[in-house]
Amino acid sequence: MSVDYKHIDQIVAEKGTAKNSLIPILQAIQAKYNYLPEDALRYVCKKTDITPAQLVGVAGFYHQFRMEPAGDHIIKVCVGTACHVKGAGRVYDAFRRELKLEGAQKTDQSGKYTVSEVSCLGCCTLAPVVQIDNITYGHVQPDQVNRVLDDFDIQKNKKKGKRFRTPEGKEIKGEIRIGLGSCCQASGSAEIQKTVEEVVQTEGINVNLKHVGCVGMCHQVPLVEVLPDGKEPILYAKVQPGDVQGIIDRHFQPASFWGKLGRALDQFIDKAQTDEHWESIERYSIDVREKQVSSFLGKQIPIATELRGVINPVDFDEYLRHKGFTALEKAMKMPPSEVIDTIYDSGLRGRGGGGYLTGAKWIAVDVQESDTKYLICNGDEGDPGAFMDRMLLESYPYRVIEGMLIAAYAVSATKGYFYIRAEYPLAVKRVNEALKICRERGVLGKNSPSKIDIEIYEGAGAFVCGEETALMASIEGNRGFPRARPPFPAQTGLFGKPTLINNTETFAMIPYIVQNGAEKFNSIGNENSKGTKVFALAGKIARGGLIEVPMGITLRQVIDEIGGGVANGKKLKAVQIGGPSGGCIPYWLADTPIDFKSLNEIGAMMGSGGLVVLDETDCMVDIAKYFLSFTQDESCGKCTFCRIGTKRMLDILNRITQGKGKMEDLDELEKIAHWTEKGSLCNLGKTAPNPIVTTLKYFRDEYEAHINGVCPTGKCTDLISYSVNDNCIGCTKCAQKCPVDAIAFTPHEKHSIDQELCIKCDSCRQVCPEDAIDVAPSDSPKGGEKNPKIL
Amino acid sequence: MIKIKIKINNTEIEVTEGSTILQAANQLGIEIPTLCHNEEVGHLNSCMICLVKDTHSGKFIPSCSRKAEQGMDIVTNDEEIHEARRTGLELLLSDHVGDCEAPCTIACPAHMDIPQMNRLLAAGKFDEALRIVKQNIALPAVLGYICPAPCEGACRRKPIDGTVSICLLKRFVGENGQIEEKPASATGHKVAIAGSGPAGLSAAYYLQLKGIQCDVFEKSPFIGGQLQTEIPDEKLPKNVLNKEISAIEKLGVNFFLNTEIDKAQFEKLQQDYNAVIIASGEIAMEQKYWGLDWNFKGFIVDSNTYQTNNPKVFAVGSALRSSKIAIRSLAQGKEAAASVWQMLNGLPVKGQPMKFNSRFGKLVIPEYAQYLKESVDEKRVEPGQGTLTGFSEEEVKSEAARCLHCDCRKATNCKLRDYSDEYDAVQKRFAYEERKAVRKQFHETIVYEPEKCIKCGICVALTEKHREAFGFTYIGRGFDVEIGVPFNETISEGLKKIAEKVADACPTGALARKVK
Repeated sequence: MSVDYKHIDQIVAEKGTAKNSLIPILQAIQAKYNYLPEDALRYVCKKTDITPAQLVGVAGFYHQFRMEPAGDHIIKVCVGTACHVKGAGRVYDAFRRELKLEGAQKTDQSGKYTVSEVSCLGCCTLAPVVQIDNITYGHVQPDQVNRVLDDFDIQKNKKKGKRFRTPEGKEIKGEIRIGLGSCCQASGSAEIQKTVEEVVQTEGINVNLKHVGCVGMCHQVPLVEVLPDGKEPILYAKVQPGDVQGIIDRHFQPASFWGKLGRALDQFIDKAQTDEHWESIERYSIDVREKQVSSFLGKQIPIATELRGVINPVDFDEYLRHKGFTALEKAMKMPPSEVIDTIYDSGLRGRGGGGYLTGAKWIAVDVQESDTKYLICNGDEGDPGAFMDRMLLESYPYRVIEGMLIAAYAVSATKGYFYIRAEYPLAVKRVNEALKICRERGVLGKNSPSKIDIEIYEGAGAFVCGEETALMASIEGNRGFPRARPPFPAQTGLFGKPTLINNTETFAMIPYIVQNGAEKFNSIGNENSKGTKVFALAGKIARGGLIEVPMGITLRQVIDEIGGGVANGKKLKAVQIGGPSGGCIPYWLADTPIDFKSLNEIGAMMGSGGLVVLDETDCMVDIAKYFLSFTQDESCGKCTFCRIGTKRMLDILNRITQGKGKMEDLDELEKIAHWTEKGSLCNLGKTAPNPIVTTLKYFRDEYEAHINGVCPTGKCTDLISYSVNDNCIGCTKCAQKCPVDAIAFTPHEKHSIDQELCIKCDSCRQVCPEDAIDVAPSDSPKGGEKNPKIL
Repeated sequence: MIKIKIKINNTEIEVTEGSTILQAANQLGIEIPTLCHNEEVGHLNSCMICLVKDTHSGKFIPSCSRKAEQGMDIVTNDEEIHEARRTGLELLLSDHVGDCEAPCTIACPAHMDIPQMNRLLAAGKFDEALRIVKQNIALPAVLGYICPAPCEGACRRKPIDGTVSICLLKRFVGENGQIEEKPASATGHKVAIAGSGPAGLSAAYYLQLKGIQCDVFEKSPFIGGQLQTEIPDEKLPKNVLNKEISAIEKLGVNFFLNTEIDKAQFEKLQQDYNAVIIASGEIAMEQKYWGLDWNFKGFIVDSNTYQTNNPKVFAVGSALRSSKIAIRSLAQGKEAAASVWQMLNGLPVKGQPMKFNSRFGKLVIPEYAQYLKESVDEKRVEPGQGTLTGFSEEEVKSEAARCLHCDCRKATNCKLRDYSDEYDAVQKRFAYEERKAVRKQFHETIVYEPEKCIKCGICVALTEKHREAFGFTYIGRGFDVEIGVPFNETISEGLKKIAEKVADACPTGALARKVK
């Protein structure tokens, strides 16, 4: 592709010529060309102060940037934790097979599609999820990828395509609180909104239509909430456009229409309950007038998410009506030191993972003498399987801004930044809009009482940039290399100046604390952790979603009472908390309270808020390997222990899951884990071994089983083989599904699987109506005994 | 300036505020290893080999960047830190593809620097080549006739188009190189050597050069032991042998012929001399009563120092176990001489133990092309006048040019090698995956071998500081990160100003000056 140098000039004119403009410049170039053409990059070096070494170093560091042209459409297969445990790897492989990709090839021969793995799209309850351009497909199974591609072909040219779809080409109904979260928008809530608008208009009903942020009940999407005058609000789950009439009629029609209403309602309930929309391994049974809704919400205490489902994210006046910015006002009438004391006394600890006392951090910045002090909201939420920050930024941008302004006042910060993942375009858009309105309304900017402005800096795809020193390096236009602390950001931070950096959720808590006082906040929680924590509850859980619970609640309460227990009646095996930095807590410790201390004591950690439920069919070695692959891939590569230590641990796990492990490997694994924890420079490396350490501690027998050649759950494909048992009725379903023709099409005869061809994609077992597919250890024990069946 | 007090290894020290722990330790004369630390660009915190323990928190902290704080209590050298550093080094070594010494040098019992000899020969510098050879081999021409050449068996070229003819090259050097050898001024020390075979001659040669008077006692009427008696003239012409013996005599070594050492004389030697080296061949019945430990093979000695249970007495050659391989005896004589020298100078007696060696094994086919970049694609040269006559000058140059230069240019000044040696690192500990393939990139004055790079970042920081137009940068990230020139420009394009500086600053052999 030839480069339009005038356009590059424009980009440079707009973004600037200094080093800290580099990432925005590269993002703009890629937005235009879909990759970074070398000619354009060389030209940027000529026109700016940026050197080739800086440019290439940065471009190669962030995964967002492509140095080679990509296909016309990008297929993103989500391999976040929830998707992983539901088979995303097989879906990715299936796309690669379908597009005949070989080796390191990512783009198909025709140049139409590029396939890539992404760490989390934040639609954990619809796992496994695939996104092609802007269209999202949920519950995709390996044998459905061709249909996904066919459907995409039809949809891509439609101007207003339905943006959230099943592999069969039907819409998935998302949240219909007329939600404006990115999951809701993607899920076609716009369609519901349109229908509601139509019905309301034709029938002349006088109701208020509202756009609200994410409610967290992602397992019920789309949700519609109806608030009849003076009555209890009623929540409808999984609503389809056809149901809208019935819902509205029920609440707003005169009594004489009851007969019609009854029919409509029946119809609605039928549809919602039959759940006809996709063949998935997960089916959600729904009762519309459900008690589940109340239990889902009952144990929760919304603080960061205080306004959930109530306000339109970017409606400034509505935020004001809900006491918006009154906390800021209150704070600014207090001496700054008193604000800091309040936060200190509240016992609030950072919600990003580390759990450092927020008040102490503020004091550290406050005591620094400097004309310039920076304030950063860390919204680089990279943990696969967590999307709390995204929800907060998308749904309550003003709330977070208010928290930041209170902090800015308290520590005398002079300039603020939002650092938001590039993978969260809607969050960026909302926050941008909110910042603009705040400036217009005099809340933000030089002439505002706060005298501070805040700008957005978009991340570019590097998990390590969630680490505060790496994040600052990134804003400065460098590779996201962490550096040693001390000096802490409070002393020497962004551009060498004192910097307060807090997590998004932490900031969202601030207005509540200022408004209600430290005592109110620290009366929630237990003795060592105060307040609430937002979690993304996903995995093998009946009701997943975003929840905000008081500290000290037990894992069992979260799983059973809020989440409705393990999905499909399976047994709980473990809970993975804290993502790649966290650990696996076994079922026998499910009564552990969720607080910083208790979690640390059992070898896990709070982390940023990922909570993935694992059931008896999940392989713990595979889970450890999954997280280690993630951290290994995300390691910045600077320090020895993280760069090579994580790789060597992964090497060992690969050996073990391939049946090539030795018992000594486990000792070596523990030793490398020990030194990677002790010797790494930053917390990415220091915590990377946690998933291994905890699974080794609690599930060592599973590691030993693998070394002896058996994957007890039959997940590790190198250790299993598929065969057909005598239950087979010769229905040929498996033969039709098999993507590699390893099963001959022999109607009415017992089928058999060609072991040479079989790729262990599990399609046959899933489609078999007679439970006739056995999964057994692939190495038959000597003596000719029949292999024990695993599944 | 504010002073603060900290404790390092239980010693209190006062340092200026702002000093790093590393600087404080250096003030106390405590050495802490560093790889990524560079005086010019400061600390980079990448290698993490400088970890020390903060006893208050129990944490391990990088001493190169962490500032000393009032009241700190630091430990720099306990067992745990040793393990941390060793593990770190072993992780680096698992991703470090390169040979410290060439396989031929490692195979040679005397560890002769063969690639260096070859480079000098190819350049026609025969005298300098002889100097290199004689650093390890006292009788090069003799060995050039009779050595079974284990080095040639290890030559990387062997499976491709024939091993480099190292032995014949060495013979040429021995017969044609001319150097003047002058012993150091006399130290006043005297060493008695029983036996004038290859082991005894070798020991005498190296000790005499160092100014230690050697008296060699030989039971037969001639010098040379089995070299004189066991090898026919047509294999080893006597004039070649005698020429090299007389060169040793000229250094001042005294030979006492027809003098057999018995128990009484052995005891007298111990009184008259500072040390005694037994190099008298297979041990006789009578020698078993000399008060030295022995077994059925011969005297028992420390395998590195050749010291017997009597610290003044050393034993080498067939006195340890019967050997027909002259080069082995010669090597032992040299190593025992080193031990004796250490003892006489009051140093710990260590001998010349083999230093840590990074090794990666056989070449794979694509690597051959990389190595050929500084060699020639020519078949092995056979001497035109027959093997007994050996190579002509032209043949020597062509054959020596075939060397692939498998040795590392930084073998003697590589921090990774030095620390790996010091911390007993085992390179194969984490060898879980197939090694990467070696690449070599050439600049006018330096060589870059990316697979030896430990990603310390010094070169990137230096080229940025000195404003190289392209310089070096990190390419990619994580385990797969590489250091390279942006936009795939050549190294020559990348390093226009400070190539040598960058090569010298590299803590490994990844970047090195071309001329060793």
